[in-house]
Amino acid sequence: MRSGGFRLGWDKGIILLLVLLIVFGGMSDNLFLSGDNINFIIGDVSEVMLIAFAMALLIIVKEIDLSVASNLTLSSAVIGITWHGTNSMWLAVIAGLLTGSTCGLINGLLVTRLGLSSLAVTIGTLALYRGLCYVLLGDTPVADYPTEWTDLGYQPIPGTFLPWVVVPMVVAGLAFWYVLHGTRLGRWLFAIGQGDEAAVFSGIPLKRVKLSLFVLTGFMCGLAGLAYTIRFASSSPDGALGFELLVIAAVLFGGVAIAGGVGTIWGVVAAVLIWGFSRSYLQLAGWDANALVIVSGLLLLVSVAVPRVLSKIRDAAAHRTSRPSSRGGVTPPPGGEAEPLSPAVAGHDQGSHRG
Amino acid sequence: MMTKLLRVRELPILVALLILLLLTGILNPAFRTGDGLTAILIESALIGFLAVGQTNLIIMRHIDLSVSSTAGLVSFLVGSYSMNHGGVTGGVALLIAIGVGATVGIVNGALVAYLGLPSLVVTIATLYIVRGIFNYLAAGITVTADQLPPYFSWIGSGEVLGVPDLFVFAAAAAAIMTLVLRYTRWGRDLYAIGSNPPAARRVGIPVAHREFGAFVLNGSIAGVAGLMLLSRFSFADATAGLGIELYVVAACVIGGVAIAGGVGTPAGALIGAVLLQTIAFALGALGVSQFWQQAVAGALLVAAIAFDRIVAMRSTHRAMRLVEVPV
Amino acid sequence: MTSITKKVMAVAAGAAVIVGLAVAPASATPKAGLKIAIIPKAINNGYFTAWNKGAQKACKEIKATCKYIGPTQATGPAQVAFINQAIQQGYNAIVLSAADQNALAPTLKKAKAKGICVVTSDADVADPKTRTAAVLPASSDRIGAAEVDWIAQEVGSKGKIAILSAAATAANQNAWIEAMKKQLAAKYPNMSLAGVYYGDDDATKSAQQFNQILTEHPDIAGIISPTTVGILAAAQEKKSKGAKVAITGLGLPSQMKDYVLDGTINKFGLWNPIDLGYVGTYGAAECASGNLKQATGAKLKAGGKTYTEGPNGVIYLGDPFTFTKGNIVTFAKIY
Repeated sequence: MRSGGFRLGWDKGIILLLVLLIVFGGMSDNLFLSGDNINFIIGDVSEVMLIAFAMALLIIVKEIDLSVASNLTLSSAVIGITWHGTNSMWLAVIAGLLTGSTCGLINGLLVTRLGLSSLAVTIGTLALYRGLCYVLLGDTPVADYPTEWTDLGYQPIPGTFLPWVVVPMVVAGLAFWYVLHGTRLGRWLFAIGQGDEAAVFSGIPLKRVKLSLFVLTGFMCGLAGLAYTIRFASSSPDGALGFELLVIAAVLFGGVAIAGGVGTIWGVVAAVLIWGFSRSYLQLAGWDANALVIVSGLLLLVSVAVPRVLSKIRDAAAHRTSRPSSRGGVTPPPGGEAEPLSPAVAGHDQGSHRG
Repeated sequence: MMTKLLRVRELPILVALLILLLLTGILNPAFRTGDGLTAILIESALIGFLAVGQTNLIIMRHIDLSVSSTAGLVSFLVGSYSMNHGGVTGGVALLIAIGVGATVGIVNGALVAYLGLPSLVVTIATLYIVRGIFNYLAAGITVTADQLPPYFSWIGSGEVLGVPDLFVFAAAAAAIMTLVLRYTRWGRDLYAIGSNPPAARRVGIPVAHREFGAFVLNGSIAGVAGLMLLSRFSFADATAGLGIELYVVAACVIGGVAIAGGVGTPAGALIGAVLLQTIAFALGALGVSQFWQQAVAGALLVAAIAFDRIVAMRSTHRAMRLVEVPV
Repeated sequence: MTSITKKVMAVAAGAAVIVGLAVAPASATPKAGLKIAIIPKAINNGYFTAWNKGAQKACKEIKATCKYIGPTQATGPAQVAFINQAIQQGYNAIVLSAADQNALAPTLKKAKAKGICVVTSDADVADPKTRTAAVLPASSDRIGAAEVDWIAQEVGSKGKIAILSAAATAANQNAWIEAMKKQLAAKYPNMSLAGVYYGDDDATKSAQQFNQILTEHPDIAGIISPTTVGILAAAQEKKSKGAKVAITGLGLPSQMKDYVLDGTINKFGLWNPIDLGYVGTYGAAECASGNLKQATGAKLKAGGKTYTEGPNGVIYLGDPFTFTKGNIVTFAKIY
């Protein structure tokens, strides 16, 4: 029995929150909804959003990838050296996307073939990929990209105020939404997230699916790397520091349970936008931008605490014990599943695991 | 049986460390003067000390990523107290460190242990919240050595029998915690919880209390680590401590504390921290361009994790063949 | 060497005059009531606190509203958010010390498109078209050459030296490093450059890089650190480890005073960041008032002095001062 019902409530809840934020913000600060500001916000959240789509799928199947920021930067570095080596931006773009996917492939192989914990492995590849950026670029960033490309970073689509990056964001969003919620593959993902062994027994090629998700995540990192490169008109080895935690925070706030098995794409979209809009609002209101991370932290905390508190209240009201019998969401699965070697950084007593 | 397994876990890394040190000493004569070793020990003291507390959590299948923010905040608070009051006594410094650290630990612990929230999520959130508060308080302020009482840098650079103070402190902490984990009921509870949470519960172990306690302890450790930061660098501003949380986890994993939980010791984690630092130094001493160093370190980390898993699987199979594993 | 000292004395006298005159009301041709954003590489850096002091002084004189905003980490992407903030909030001008000479270009173009005047001060950007003018201390050649001369004095003009820099993306750092390499090649055949190391203007990283240098090159004779964060970290490490390496570079007298008095460092230099902030703000204000454009020979009046633009809108303030035991206490009181 899934408590997915509550999760869907959460998703609708944050969409409502996003709408309220936009309306309230627009009314109290007339710069907030200006075309320029929205242009900036969308650009600001573009890379996080692109990667979050794939990360959502990974977390649904109870895996994780901490190397995404390093992957993004490495793809950007490869774009740089390919551009220098071949003088063709298109080749550079292809090289960047290939790099991202390959890094994802490596992560996936380590997790599926060697059975390693994705949390531990991707901490290692986080260092490895970032290190490779230094190997490739040393101390000289690449900054001589052609202006036809870098202009895409700040000039809006003609006739609108939207930045060009909104195109891949919308396309990716629709594609991921369709796959997750409208295809058999999507149902497999939820099934895997809700009980590995049952999934395998019902014929789902577990390892192949997980591997593909890692490659897909890597590809999105490559795409995000391209967006980042264009936005800053340069590739340097210390870009996107700390992005991985932002992506994970956004995905979790978007209603994707860390325990796996539940989540929606529109929730992720809303979460990323809330993050972007609220930061902008607070910054316009005079908050020091450096203190804005408090907002990210609070949103994250709220996203996991509120459902849990509500379910505890429900349980107490129904005079049940505090061990809910339903799966999915943040509520832990019933105890009694001994998982000897499975890593679990999810809450205590949960049989869910990473990798 | 337990002793044998524990010894097996830490031995390979210890051996790897010694081989690496030997090799570097042979290939780079300047390394042999002991300055290299001293530098390694000082640098690994901070991460090693943080790893002592982190080990307890990872053993129970948890994690605490907020340690870097806590350590940074404490180093800044103590530093600015000193700046505003013309100095700070050791007692006040310790009070601030443990006070702030334990508070963060209490928040983390309560949310994870009593509310049942996932520790990865909670500690990422507190990482952000503490860092944000830190940034807000530290905006534009820099604390430099001349505003700190001299005993800070004195501790940071002092030595005991040739071994840096800070490392002696970290090693002592690791040794004590390892013994506590091995020989006290509290410690054995942690391993039990990590190996099989539902079984631990059924046997009557107060799982939530143990988790809470470990988080509070780790928070306090992070606070004291902030003092170590201050004494090591005699400097504090809004970027203090940034980014070390993942190194701490890496040190633990390399040191034999499996993410899967249930195994590993703080002593191993300390060795892991030293090994990480040695690799960095060795690469430098061997003339490897600094641009390759992080890549090599990352590759070695991945290799260590893979190796650890293979060894763990082998020893589990061995154990299962010899002893009937109750489920 | 003596002629530079004489020049330094002259500039020191001039600077004292500027600082003195700044107290007296200057005839302000910029419009009153402007909104100016003062954006440093990093907000928690003592050098920029002094830089901002100068900027705020100018702001008071010209009756502008100035806000000091910036990131805690000196990277381009981090600065972009604050430049955008200035754009959103309708500022008239930006005074900027660029943490990354390239990454800010798209955002600066946006600012220009909105009619916001951008003047860089202290660290420039690579593309002069993205800002109106740049107020820099002295030509990079002179600064780089001076630092090499200082270290050569310490090490007897022979041996290995290393450079402990800030960020690899900072224009000013890279220009000075190039100048240093030139000076080494031209004047000191018995000295060699062991390598350039980057501390990213981060105290922890700078300390680690210092140790890295000593590990990789145990026979290193001298280290030049053209960044206030780097030279402070190097001095601290040298003192706590008792290392035998000569150190010089660019540092804040207030931060380095103790290390000069106890002999850890003998000589280092810097210009007055207060001046940079002051003149930069005047430049931004004049530009926003329509009085300053990018044109060789254009004049900028600030604090009783008149500055002339060179090619690409660059304005030089003058050579760095040298600090030694003799004058460190006096200067430590100013910045």
